Amino acid sequence: MKNFLPISLRVNGEPYDLLIPPWRTLLEVLRENLSLTGAKRSCQEGQCGACTVLLDRKPINSCLYLAVEAQGKEILTIEGLSRGAGDLHPVQKSFVEKGAIQCGFCTPGLVLSTVSLLDENPNPSEDEIRKAVVGHLCRCTGYFQIIEAILAAARERAGKDTEA
Amino acid sequence: MTIEPHEDHAIIGKPVPKKDGWIKATGEAKYADDLFMPGMLYGKLLRSPYPHAKISHIDASRAEKLPGIRTVITGKDFPGIKYGNMPQTRDYLPLAIEKVRYIGDEVAAIAAIDEDSAEEALDLIRVEYEPLPAVFDAEDAMKPGAPQLHDHAATNISAESAFQFGDVDKGFAESDYLREDLFETQPIKQGMLEPHACIGLWDETDKITLWASKQSPYVVWKQLAMGLGVEASKIRVIQTYVGGGFSEGEQEAMAMDFCAVLLSKKSRRPVKFVHTMDEVLSIGHMRHPLKIWLKTGAKRDGTLLAQHLKIVANGGAYSSIGQLSMYLPGAMLNLPYRVPNIRYEAHRVYTNNGFCGALRGHTIPQICFARDSQLDTIAEKLGLDPIEIRLKNARQPGEVTPNGFRLTTFGFTECLEKAVEASGWREKYGKLPRYRGIGIGCGSLVSGARIMGHSASSAQVNIHEDGTVFLVTGSTDVGQGADTVLSMIAAEVLGVRMEDIRFAMVDTDMTPADPGTFSSRVTFWTGNAVKLASEDAREQLAEIAAQKLKADVKDIVFRDRQVYVGHDPQRGLSFGELVRLAQHRLGRIIMGKGSYTSGDALIDFRTGYGNMSPAYTPSACVAEVEIDPETGQVTVTGIWGAHDCGFPLNPMLVKGQVLGATVMGIGQALYENLIRIEGKVMNPSFRDYKMPLTEDVPWLANVGHVNVITRDPSGPFGAKEAGEGAAAGVIAAVANAVYQATGVRFKSLPISPDKILFGLKEARGEDGDAQAKRQSLTSERSKGGFDESD
Amino acid sequence: MSYLRRLPRFEYFAPQSVAAVCNALADYPGEARLLAGGTDLVLQMRRREIAPRYVIGLKGLSELAFIREQADGHLAIGAMTTIQAIESSPVIRKRYGLLSQTAGEMGSPEIRQVATIGGNLAGALPCADFPPALIVLGAKVKLQSKQEERLVPLEDFFLRFEQTVARRDELLTEIYLCTPPPFSGGVYLKFHDRHSMDMTTTGVCAFVTLDKERRLFRDVKIALGSSAPVPLRAKKAEAALRGRAFSEDALEESASLACEEAEPRSSWRASRDFRLELIRTLTKRAIRGAWEKAVAASDRGRA
Repeated sequence: MKNFLPISLRVNGEPYDLLIPPWRTLLEVLRENLSLTGAKRSCQEGQCGACTVLLDRKPINSCLYLAVEAQGKEILTIEGLSRGAGDLHPVQKSFVEKGAIQCGFCTPGLVLSTVSLLDENPNPSEDEIRKAVVGHLCRCTGYFQIIEAILAAARERAGKDTEA
Repeated sequence: MTIEPHEDHAIIGKPVPKKDGWIKATGEAKYADDLFMPGMLYGKLLRSPYPHAKISHIDASRAEKLPGIRTVITGKDFPGIKYGNMPQTRDYLPLAIEKVRYIGDEVAAIAAIDEDSAEEALDLIRVEYEPLPAVFDAEDAMKPGAPQLHDHAATNISAESAFQFGDVDKGFAESDYLREDLFETQPIKQGMLEPHACIGLWDETDKITLWASKQSPYVVWKQLAMGLGVEASKIRVIQTYVGGGFSEGEQEAMAMDFCAVLLSKKSRRPVKFVHTMDEVLSIGHMRHPLKIWLKTGAKRDGTLLAQHLKIVANGGAYSSIGQLSMYLPGAMLNLPYRVPNIRYEAHRVYTNNGFCGALRGHTIPQICFARDSQLDTIAEKLGLDPIEIRLKNARQPGEVTPNGFRLTTFGFTECLEKAVEASGWREKYGKLPRYRGIGIGCGSLVSGARIMGHSASSAQVNIHEDGTVFLVTGSTDVGQGADTVLSMIAAEVLGVRMEDIRFAMVDTDMTPADPGTFSSRVTFWTGNAVKLASEDAREQLAEIAAQKLKADVKDIVFRDRQVYVGHDPQRGLSFGELVRLAQHRLGRIIMGKGSYTSGDALIDFRTGYGNMSPAYTPSACVAEVEIDPETGQVTVTGIWGAHDCGFPLNPMLVKGQVLGATVMGIGQALYENLIRIEGKVMNPSFRDYKMPLTEDVPWLANVGHVNVITRDPSGPFGAKEAGEGAAAGVIAAVANAVYQATGVRFKSLPISPDKILFGLKEARGEDGDAQAKRQSLTSERSKGGFDESD
Repeated sequence: MSYLRRLPRFEYFAPQSVAAVCNALADYPGEARLLAGGTDLVLQMRRREIAPRYVIGLKGLSELAFIREQADGHLAIGAMTTIQAIESSPVIRKRYGLLSQTAGEMGSPEIRQVATIGGNLAGALPCADFPPALIVLGAKVKLQSKQEERLVPLEDFFLRFEQTVARRDELLTEIYLCTPPPFSGGVYLKFHDRHSMDMTTTGVCAFVTLDKERRLFRDVKIALGSSAPVPLRAKKAEAALRGRAFSEDALEESASLACEEAEPRSSWRASRDFRLELIRTLTKRAIRGAWEKAVAASDRGRA
């Protein structure tokens, strides 16, 4: 325990004070200390995107990020996205409705990257979508229904904006 | 009382979102690595660094003394009983005892308070190995004097298959054109995102529980019992959410499963194991790399007369389900084309590489690659159109193949026509600019197979008083949509809504025994069982309703949570009311059960004769590619497929299966290759084991998928499989498209840029060394001593 | 024989200033590693290729995350500037389009969000993408230690695989780029099997300055990546073009010389022969692309 460092993390709007070894990655701390297992341990090399969380609204591979270095940032995990049971975030809803989810292991990371993409670029082209999620491996869907879901989420969001 | 399919389905045929979509979208779904139990320990496996070696001695004493280490086990802590898939091919041990047979073979296991300690302790286990000569090439392994891997296999033959139907020599003699080619395919990994994970608990009552990411929990259950030397009833396998199957180890019990439970017994705590992804990519369960010799005889008009197929499979260190792997290529050569005379020989060879097993499509996509590539060559030589030659030889519904496959529905001709139409083939073939090409590839799959003792599926529906239904089967959802499709069948039959059905995950203590999810069997076999079970429950309820409503049983309609008299809908009650009536007034708890097996006899593996499946699914795939001739890079610019799935119970999920499998096919055709040098995997990483990403697939507008609907009379609501078949021809389609684009025929996979570049140069007569450079690519890759730098 | 592991034990600290980092490097010679974005180092630690006693985290050094136009028109980029910041920087897009093009093709958005230009250079991996682009732009890097600071031209910075001229007590702090000459342009082309995310098999960067009046190559810089143990300037290939008019023959000659100067290895990733083919093709294409950009710049100048 002598090497442990006290850190404060803000995750999904909540503050957490932890005492952790500095060699723990953000992914490990989220999963093991905070029981937020939505971010997945997969390749652990930054090649698959299954560990993606948003840091100050931008997607990063949490498997390559030390937890101690995530202090002072707003961390958003998949658990922080929906507003409660039955009230999915529009991107989550779109993924479910458009068949973009099969085994689901890549889903949390992809959904978060999509949220970040649409924040920055509310009306992305197919090309922009492909480039935005190129860091996400999916072995089940072949990507087509994922891209369709993201396009649908963008349209839905645009529809709501024009209504407002 | 069966329910015939009709256009007026309430739920069947609709694009219902996957039932567990929301729980996965919110991150709530707990995969095995997401489970934590009080007092849980963490396990790690020690793996052999040698491809072939005797184990002289293992000293774990230093490891045991490390703080945080609770238990260490080796092979000798198990009873030494070999387990596996068939009596003649059982060669797995939980941990190696006398020798190791590939780099990565498991030798010892540790349970510790955290993964860090477990990893550190691995370094402290002293294993004394006596390295033995190793062999990596299949043909070398078959030669006399080659290192022998297993005592029972003097010439390293792990499995063989040989059969003949008709008279191949006569067929060749009568042919106007004979063509012989050698093809080679590469080792492929499933590439699912979830690394294998499990938690084992051997409790104080001597009950063994394993939570694991498995496609076939029942098979794991049996194998655990076998390898542990305990009664199966002591074991309970609980399936967790599966993060991608494709048959990577989830079909069988793995070292981690055995070690988790035994370490738990010794430490008296639950023990979790999770592989790292480089472990996953280094160990076994690959798609067999095959050397394929195919000789075909055809008449001038393109009619196929005879085929002789010889296969040498580099099977790796253990058998897995190798016997079946060797039967399939010759068997499936009978489809989708009519070949009246077939001769087949296959050898699966033990080598000191990771072992091979099933992988989406098993050994079939490789055969389709070879066969359909060659078919294009034959067509060209005979001056025939590639589509015409396929139409000419297309098998039709009702036919029986020489090896005994009985085709019920088989819409292959329609698949060809629809693929041609969807892709714009007629406007493109032969008309595309240089370095662009369009190609077709076809194949066929089975809808589950009667391949071992227990192949049946069963289901139970428990109706609850609030009108909801608990659906219990032994089939696992691995992402393909079994949970949804089976629920749709139950909901349709019982006339309730999708949200009224709860689908049970498999728990061998409680769900019916079932082979699991593979061979594209679930929709057909378990679907039929679910339909029967639902009809059983429905019948019980209908009788009660008939009495209550004073009507004829056959006039009772169940729809949208209502139960009423068909010709007088006012006379009715809600589904929930009916159930409560049954339960509370009549004291009847409504449970329906059903079981399905195809009824066919088992395949006679000695002769190769028998009807493997109750229904076969043909497919045709068209691929369009663009080549950069100066770098060899291939871009797949379009892909269109037509697949006969009988009837798409859920078109959205069928699309997901078909397109997902298609992209896996593109990966195998162009990018994927698990490279071993002297038995060591050089690219155990998603960075270097290259699977398609978003930028590697065609634009949405250039992707098409057509369901050919044939309504198979034996399938539930006419459905057949959709998980594997559509991709059987993808590799061949890409290979044929590359040929059209370059004029060069590539017969080894993957068709990588370097092969294309040198192939083009050789064809143009440039660079006298081009052929040597192309050939040296393979041998370069088998030399040792390269570092990470490039 | 090790598979991926949890990260090794280390002591971590995050100094708040460059001076503090330099002190730490001096205090722990050879025992400390600098952690920039982490996309290389964390992985190297996970593989146990590196197991440092101390890890010095640089993410908090905001003084090193900047893109600054100097008074003399030159550009200074702080070493901790992320790839994403470089790609999206308006001034880089406008004045050093080659650099933002290169940045946009590195890794994935997740990687670009944290990986830094300093890390990409200091890591000295032959497949790194920034070095060829920065070399043709004539970049210099500032190395700072407790005792001194010095400027090193980037083309002299790389010694061998994973090793640079930086001493172990030096921190790479800034990258300097001169104002590109008028009527110039650059292109970085890299090859890999898939269409993205792959390690670069071979990369060629060309930067052309146009002699506008005579329509000749006034100057050419060509740098190769993944073609030798270190990023390489193909000086003979450059010399073959200087003062010449654009022609296919000139490109061919230059490309052949680039092939001669390169020292690509054969490995299981790609054979030497294949890399040479790629160098030939990419050199021609990069020069052509850079020439076209330079011409376009001169056309805009005219208008």
